[in-house]
Parts: sequence; structure tokens; C-alpha cells
Amino acid sequence: MTMRTTRNLVLLAGLASMSVRATAQDPRLPARLDAPTIAAINAVVDSAKAQGIPIAPLYDKMNEGVAAGADGPLIVKSVRNLSMDLASAHRALGALATADEIKAAAYAMHAGIPAVELGKLKRQSGLRRSLTLPFTVLADIVSRGVPVTTAANAIRSLVGAGAKDKDINDFQRNVKVDIEQGAPPAAAAETRAKGATKSDKPDKPEKTDKPEQIEL
Amino acid sequence: MAEWGRTTLEMIVQDLQRPVVLDESFERRVMVRVRRLYAQQRKRKGRAWVAISGTIAHRPAWAALIAAGIVAIATAGVLKARPQSAPITVGGPEPVKFVLVAPGAMSVAVVGDFNNWGLNDSALVATSNQGVWSVTAPVPVGVHRYAFVVNGKQWMADPTAPRSSGDDFGMPSSALVVEDSTK
Repeated sequence: MTMRTTRNLVLLAGLASMSVRATAQDPRLPARLDAPTIAAINAVVDSAKAQGIPIAPLYDKMNEGVAAGADGPLIVKSVRNLSMDLASAHRALGALATADEIKAAAYAMHAGIPAVELGKLKRQSGLRRSLTLPFTVLADIVSRGVPVTTAANAIRSLVGAGAKDKDINDFQRNVKVDIEQGAPPAAAAETRAKGATKSDKPDKPEKTDKPEQIEL
Repeated sequence: MAEWGRTTLEMIVQDLQRPVVLDESFERRVMVRVRRLYAQQRKRKGRAWVAISGTIAHRPAWAALIAAGIVAIATAGVLKARPQSAPITVGGPEPVKFVLVAPGAMSVAVVGDFNNWGLNDSALVATSNQGVWSVTAPVPVGVHRYAFVVNGKQWMADPTAPRSSGDDFGMPSSALVVEDSTK
């Protein structure tokens, strides 16, 4: 046994460990996925990890696809699209956004809300308020036909007025009921947002026509 | 006493704030020392490797044993380094009640992000009270997507919850935001 044999043995050991890595399957990858699909999903997940975006939603999307009986290419396409939306949302919201906010923002983008609008909302609300629910409701009302600008303005006015999550939930329910009862979506969102904003502010004395008297 | 303490403190602060003057050759001397230390360490490591290789060359059984050990360590490392589910939330699970009015249904289950969409029999099975199906389950704090599965095949969004936009697979789903009740 020479030095060369030793080197060969070490090389063999290295190759063996590499092959173990290649065949080791993530336990979150369902068994019914084929090898090319798994490889493609692993590539998307690795890329997402490198960008620092949350990867749990990608596995959730994959599981959803498997449960829905979708084929491999469609699952990969959906996971890849979600990954791109998550990356855009991450960039738009900034480094201080939570993983939940990024996920909710990604789905809002999927509904057609531009990342710029979501970024504006985040900058307006700052760190104190989580925008997970506002983003979720924004996506919901847009999917019900409220124009993007109207919906974003409505949510922005609610968040700006200090509306709590409960108020945002109430707003979503009211807009939904109004639309189901035949109201134009934009009108429903505008009216309900105004109503919600007004009720949050402390009562002010009503203005009268009488001019104020200024004491000199 | 307080005045004395303040004066002493001020003196200490002033002393600490005074710039440290180093002679011009200081940086060069430090770097020479660092390079020498680094060269010595490298030489020592090289000698150790040569010594190990020499031993292995004379004892083939040892070489095989070391190779097997490297494989075992590498395998263990790979298994340990396998990516775990990225924590998306910090709060613990909160009980959530899912309700669906479906008088004609034979069965209703809930699938979503929080139970791997029902894969491996993880769906939440609802019970019926005269057609009002419900199930309560702990769901992690955060934002989730979910759907009802009626009669084992028909997917339905929750009519009382916000719609979720990501139904890429033609199956409607709903959004759920679970808040941390301790906050």
C-alpha cells in the first residue's frame, strides 16, 4: 500500500459522501414527486435560500400542488413563480419585514397589486404594525373586483388611521357583503373605508356655520 | 463625594479619549510578527499531514478504517445539514375553529399550509351538527392558505374568509391570519 493508494481511498470516500448527499431526499419532498421535479424544486429552494427569502411557503406550494393532483411541471412553475413574488416582496418591503408579511405580500402581488404599492404601505406603517392582515385583505378585495388603486388607497387610509386587525377584518366582511348584494366593488371599498376611518377617530364637535369669535 | 466622583470620572474619560500615539514602525512590526506566526502554523500542519500519510502507507487496514470514518462523518454531516423548515412564525399554535355549512355533504375535511395540505392523512376531519361541519385545531401563528375538501374530492374555499389569490392548481383556497394571543 503506497501513498497513491491512500490518496485513492480518501478520494473514494469523498465521492461516496457526495453520492450520499445527492441521493439524500428532503423529508418535506413528497414521495410521489418524480426525480426531475424534485431536482427543479431543490434548485428553486436553494436560490431562495441564497437570497434570504422564506422557503417554507415554497414547500407549502409544492404540497398544495401534490395534494391537488397537479403534474410536476405545473408544480415547479408555481413554486418558481411564488419564489419570484417572494423575492420581489422582500425587496419592496425591506429587510425589516417579517416572513409572514413577505408571504402575504407575495400573494397580494399574485392578485395583481404592484410591489410599489405594498412598499408604500410598509413605509407608511413602519415597524409597529404588522401588515400581514392588511396585505391579505388587499388581495381579497382586489380578487372581488375592487380596482387596485382604490383597494390600496382604502387599506392605506385604514392603516393610516390606526385601524386594528379586527377593524380590517370587519372592513373585508362588509365590502364582501356589499359586493354580493350588488354594490359596485369600488364604491363598496371607498364607502366602507371612509366609514371605518371615521369611527376610529375620537368624536369631534361638529362644525357650525357660526364663525368663531376671536378674543383680542 | 458626588463632586469628587464626577471629577474622577471626567479625568478617566479624558484620559481614555486622548489619542494613542504609535511610532511609525509599529504597524510594520506587527505584520512581520503575524506573517511569521502564520508561516509557522502552516509548516506545522504540513508536517502533521505528511506524518499521517506515512503511517497510512505502511498500514493498509488503517487506511481503510480512516476512509470509512470519513464517509461516516460526511454522511452524518449531510444528514444534519439537511435544511429544516424555515421558521416563518415565532408564536405558538393557536386554536382555530373551521366551520362550513354543507347540509348535503357526506364528509368535510380541512387542508392547508399548516397540515401539509392533507398529505400523509394529515387532513383535519370535521364533524357534522345537522349539516354544520366544524373542527377546531391548533394552527401556528402566521398567515396560511387552506381549503375545505367536501366528500373527499371537491375543494372549496371558506365562504366566510378572505380569498387567497394563489390558486395555481385550479383549486379555490382561503387565507387565514392567526394572531399571537399572548401579544
